[in-house]
Amino acid sequence: MRQVELTVNGRRHQVQVADDELLLDVLREKIGTTSVREGCGVGACGACTVLVEGRSVSSCLARAVRFEGLDIQTADGLPEDDPVVSAFVDCGAMQCGYCIPGFVLMTHELLDENPSPDHEEVKAHFEGNLCRCGTYPQIFDAVSKAAHERCTS
Amino acid sequence: MNDVSDAPVVPGTEAVVGARWTRAGARAKVRGETRYVADFPVGSSCAHVALHRSTRPHALIKSVDVAEAAALDGVITVVTGPDLHAILGDRMFTGPAFTDQPPLAVDKVRYVGEPVAAVLAHDLATARAAVDLIYVDYEDLEPVYDVEAALVPTAFVHDELRPSAIFGDLGHLRGRSGTNVCYEYNLRHGDPDAVVPDSAATVTGSFWCPPVHHVPIELPCTVASVEGDRLEILSTTQTPSYVRQMAADLLDLPLGQVRVRTAPLGGGFGSKMYDRLEPLAAALAWTQRMNVKLAISREEAFLLTMRHGVGVTSSMTADADGNILASRADVVYDTGAYADVGPRIAGKSGMVSVGPYRMESASVRSRCIYTNKPSAGPFRGFGVPQVNWSHESLVDELARTRGEDPALFRRRNLLREGDEAYMGTRMHSADFVGCLDAVTEAIDWASPLDRGDVRWRRGRGVAVAMKAVLTPTVSNAVLQLNQDGSASLMISTVDMGQGSDTIMPQIVAQVLCLDEGRVRVVQADTDVTPYDSITAGSRSTYHTGNAVRGAAERMHDRLLDLAALRTGASREDLKLTSAGVVNTTTQHSVSISELVHGHFGARGTTLTTEANFTTTWDPYDKETGRSSKVTEHWFAGAVAVQLLVDRRTGRVRIEHLAVAGDVGRAINPTLVEQQLSGAAIMGLGHALYDELVFDQGQMTNATLLDYQVLSAMDLPEKLTPIIVESPHRTGPFGAKGVGETGLIAVAAAVANAVRDAVGVRITRLPLSPERVMDAMDEAGVV
Repeated sequence: MRQVELTVNGRRHQVQVADDELLLDVLREKIGTTSVREGCGVGACGACTVLVEGRSVSSCLARAVRFEGLDIQTADGLPEDDPVVSAFVDCGAMQCGYCIPGFVLMTHELLDENPSPDHEEVKAHFEGNLCRCGTYPQIFDAVSKAAHERCTS
Repeated sequence: MNDVSDAPVVPGTEAVVGARWTRAGARAKVRGETRYVADFPVGSSCAHVALHRSTRPHALIKSVDVAEAAALDGVITVVTGPDLHAILGDRMFTGPAFTDQPPLAVDKVRYVGEPVAAVLAHDLATARAAVDLIYVDYEDLEPVYDVEAALVPTAFVHDELRPSAIFGDLGHLRGRSGTNVCYEYNLRHGDPDAVVPDSAATVTGSFWCPPVHHVPIELPCTVASVEGDRLEILSTTQTPSYVRQMAADLLDLPLGQVRVRTAPLGGGFGSKMYDRLEPLAAALAWTQRMNVKLAISREEAFLLTMRHGVGVTSSMTADADGNILASRADVVYDTGAYADVGPRIAGKSGMVSVGPYRMESASVRSRCIYTNKPSAGPFRGFGVPQVNWSHESLVDELARTRGEDPALFRRRNLLREGDEAYMGTRMHSADFVGCLDAVTEAIDWASPLDRGDVRWRRGRGVAVAMKAVLTPTVSNAVLQLNQDGSASLMISTVDMGQGSDTIMPQIVAQVLCLDEGRVRVVQADTDVTPYDSITAGSRSTYHTGNAVRGAAERMHDRLLDLAALRTGASREDLKLTSAGVVNTTTQHSVSISELVHGHFGARGTTLTTEANFTTTWDPYDKETGRSSKVTEHWFAGAVAVQLLVDRRTGRVRIEHLAVAGDVGRAINPTLVEQQLSGAAIMGLGHALYDELVFDQGQMTNATLLDYQVLSAMDLPEKLTPIIVESPHRTGPFGAKGVGETGLIAVAAAVANAVRDAVGVRITRLPLSPERVMDAMDEAGVV
């Protein structure tokens, strides 16, 4: 165990972490961030996605000790008026909702890199995120809406 | 057909039923603030559980050595099947149809991965480490790997079977021994052995659907805690009322001493029903007198349940005029080591295995068969998609044999309103023709088809879906109207993405003229929310919806009574509107808030009403298997696809998929469309990708790296969900459910389109590139 400082959604947290402890478990159990979820444990479903310095990371494959000093973003830490969140709500891009925070963060990463992605680029970006409810059509709508609103605002 | 306007909709109100209300809790779901079961803190005194699992498909347990595991630092205790049996006796065997499944194996194991011992430790990592320090001595028995082996009576998965007595529709089950067939349903209509004229055309086939997995992204999790003489369970379950009865039976407790709670589920699809982690969690908590948490990995979740692998051998005959004369199906459901609800599936879904058609004779044998595999149970569609795969492939071949358009051939033969179908039940609110017409029109079926080029071959296919709803069942609703005009709705329906927390409030709001957001559903909690059979089988909209509507109508009457009492007006002059109760003579109005405040003389008070909705059936005739009322209502749907087959790789690319479902009346069209398209996407996975692979009883692809779930990359280029509304005379505002309808016919529609594109009939799912290539090569497709 060692003491590390993790910065999550702009807030600093001092936590005792074992060397092999996963970022997913530390976020959920020691910091209380339950928007980050286990779905597969092998980096194949995207439910545990976080953004680290703006880049997506599967927290179920990441050791927490490596993230000291880096900015970790989770969906619940986004601003209330976040345009991506609002676009997902407006487009009905959720059913059970379990996987959706991962898609929201992936959308942020995508639009930061590519403000007006075409459909093939959107699909390719979501390759590692699974929605078993099959909400993909509404998620695509939400990405288009968010991209449009970012461009016009 | 009754028009929905016959239903007593309160006059003068905004139409809430049919409005596209935003899903309840939408923003919380998107921001990740919704709390699922695993998100609730359990406290440091809670024991974390890991399971030692069988490495053998079928073996006697000679001994279990837990000493090393128990001695590991951090381990609290290790519990085995015999430990539980010493306390609970045969009560530890549970199940919705037969009491055949122990939470931990006793005496013998029946599948690779069956739990043998449970380690309770202060943390999960320690519990998992200790599991590897348990040593089991087995004496192997002859394994029963598949249904063919199961029907050769040399080895039996179970020596003796005892029926459970929980559900009304399974009351006819009998104890059995000396067989692996736990249930057999037979249907005989007309004279199936009648000689057919020489001019008739007959097609035969043999079809196979492999077992597949539900893969809800939320993993199963159960927390059980003991408080004095009470057991509390918080679980990812679609069936809280069932779990309460199961735990009471298991532990010999009064129902009042068992509390079962749920949270919103991160997907269910049938995987979170009946006996999953709950029997073991309950048994461990109660016998060890401690709080326990069972949270399993994805690999373990694959072993918890699956969809039945199903084989169908079938035939269909049409006369010279193109009318179906006869249809036969011999169906085998591989239910694995434990029956779960397999007997109900074999009966109810085997029953419709000859298709949604008029016919002079029908013959079905449908068997539910034990094998040494993980237990198979309910999965969105409840065994119907697998038999639909057979009858919709076969009817397509029959049309082609006759040289007829497959859509037109179906259209002539489909069951219509008022028909008595071959199983003896009349059709109502099941618009197969409307669904078929809608999907064929959507993909422009009648237009000339560009057949593609040398590499990419284009084809179109269609299939029609028919499913009964579970009958009889029971639903209840308690409605609490708060003095401020908001309301709390207590039902035991569990929202797992289908949208019940949105549409049940719409039903209340329609009756009581309330605004969006004023009615909230209380999460299922058996201390508070009343009994409901199950959240499954697309039954909630109709059944729980009717209970909810009943409770709301009683509240409506109660408010008018209070207003009459308060104002002295005649009850007939009073009308409930969005402004409260209005006297239509004087135009004087009084708000709900004033009425309730005035009645009790205090703010914050509540008015409560309740209603029950229970359905009945006519049990299967012992001789013929027929029933005048086998279902409370029908689900009808259709799928049409246009696709390309890559001659070079065998890959299938869907250009357009149209899916239609007759929902009676759409309470919330947005959510209905989402259920239709989401189900079609899942069905497309079953058509092209999903398959659990076994090698000598061992599941070999139980991770999400190895088990292919359809992703954003694999969607149809165009997907069109279509709502068909043929109102049901006793549905709430004419409505029926929709959760399964869109899935049922997808696989057959895709296969029929592949047949159309390249001329090969594939009879085994999924249509993987290898399988399509092999079929094309074998048929000599150039």
